[in-house]
Amino acid sequence: MKDIITIVIRLTVSCLMAATVMGLCFIFTSSAKKHNEHVREQRVMYELLGYDAGAEIPESVSLYEIYRYVVSRGTGQSIAYLLPEGEDDNFLFVEIDLDGKFLNAKPMEMSEQDALEHDVRTKHIQADLGETVHAEFADQILIATDDGKRTAYIIGGKFQGFKTFINVMMAVKPDFSILGLEILEHEEDPGLGAEIEQDYFKNQFKDKPFEALKVVDVVKAPIPDDYLKALNNKVSEEDVLKFREQYKDKDIYAITGATISTRAVSNGVKAIVMKFAYRVTVLDKVLEAEHIAVPF
Amino acid sequence: MANDKSSIQLVTRGILSENPIFKLALSMCPAVGISTTVMNGIMLGIAVLFVQVFSSVTISIFKNMIHPRIRIPTYTLTIATWVTVIDLVLAAYMPEAYAKMGIFVKLIVAFAIITMRLEMFACKEPVKDSFWDGIGMGLGFMVGMMAIGFIRELLGSGAILGHDVLGFKPLLFFILPSAGFFVVGLMMAFFNWIEVYYKRTKGLQ
Repeated sequence: MKDIITIVIRLTVSCLMAATVMGLCFIFTSSAKKHNEHVREQRVMYELLGYDAGAEIPESVSLYEIYRYVVSRGTGQSIAYLLPEGEDDNFLFVEIDLDGKFLNAKPMEMSEQDALEHDVRTKHIQADLGETVHAEFADQILIATDDGKRTAYIIGGKFQGFKTFINVMMAVKPDFSILGLEILEHEEDPGLGAEIEQDYFKNQFKDKPFEALKVVDVVKAPIPDDYLKALNNKVSEEDVLKFREQYKDKDIYAITGATISTRAVSNGVKAIVMKFAYRVTVLDKVLEAEHIAVPF
Repeated sequence: MANDKSSIQLVTRGILSENPIFKLALSMCPAVGISTTVMNGIMLGIAVLFVQVFSSVTISIFKNMIHPRIRIPTYTLTIATWVTVIDLVLAAYMPEAYAKMGIFVKLIVAFAIITMRLEMFACKEPVKDSFWDGIGMGLGFMVGMMAIGFIRELLGSGAILGHDVLGFKPLLFFILPSAGFFVVGLMMAFFNWIEVYYKRTKGLQ
């Protein structure tokens, strides 16, 4: 009996010590970790827009975040967008029903900092809507403008890969052709499916027009040598553009030994862009019909 | 018995005569699964080195306070704590390294080699010796992983450290996990053969 008590006490003490060490470590590092993740996301975003690390971003370029929510009431569901309005800290909560018809628009006051924080933003919206209505955050898009004109959208998404989810971020032009693709997270096999993060794979999607993307498929064939060089940016810039033009309507070349991963990415990208294109078209129609002025 | 071992002997023992992968045949799961490239080997090696050294020293310091019947849970707890701490610190202050090493660090909790060294060495020996033993084992693991990674990367992807050296991919098979068994087995045989050969020539002299 005495033995058991000492064992219990010692094990408890060691657990407490371990918990203290881990807890302290977490307290000291959590803010830095969050900051790093944010910095990385920002960097990927700017790289997708064509501003590599260190490149100067012109002042005329501005970014607007739009948050999409699924609002459920007793009677049914609708889609809502939280849009920035004007220069101040004003946001507009625009509700659209599932057929794309405008329901209502509510002004919402919150600071830009609050809008960035997911929890604070959702709480704010929930408080405004009242208890009978439930708003569920769906996703967010980023609109980049240059001199007031839209230059690109940044969208993200997750889809099933060969093993677990593949998390991507991409930049799409206003005509929904792809500006750039970045793989943020994946757990594909190293040497096989993990090749999806290589430039030669990602660059195949670059400048693919929306019409070609809608029907894009995967071909099981080796990439032609000259095209591979162009994909790896080993030829002059003009030639890269020439090759891109030549192959823009073609299918995606499968990675050797990883056709499933290739297919997952190409189908995933296709689905994300198509859904996004539909949503933005609906949103734009509503904004135009209701004469809602937005800065983008 | 601890006093007659110098730090250098402890380190070389971990790399050569008691190499965790080729001699002790421990932690074969990562050796087979992850060692597809040299870089993976180096990353996992560094991660193991740190966890091994920190855990060995911790256990060595507290060895008199650990009840013998709960030593295994205590070891696991120690390893888990250090893995978490290293993971958090890397994520916070070395995001570049973390992007490459992150998944490897989390794997280490389940490594047999670390628990085994705590059980065999750190719970009996002084802190200083445990420190050097940890370094030796960590380095030995790293060297083993790099050697396997070198062969698999060269034959599987035709590259070394990500640089294309052959210009073609000789055998894609070598990247798959099953090939890891063959490489580890053949290398184990090779090192044993060297040892036998070495002892024989020495014996003849």
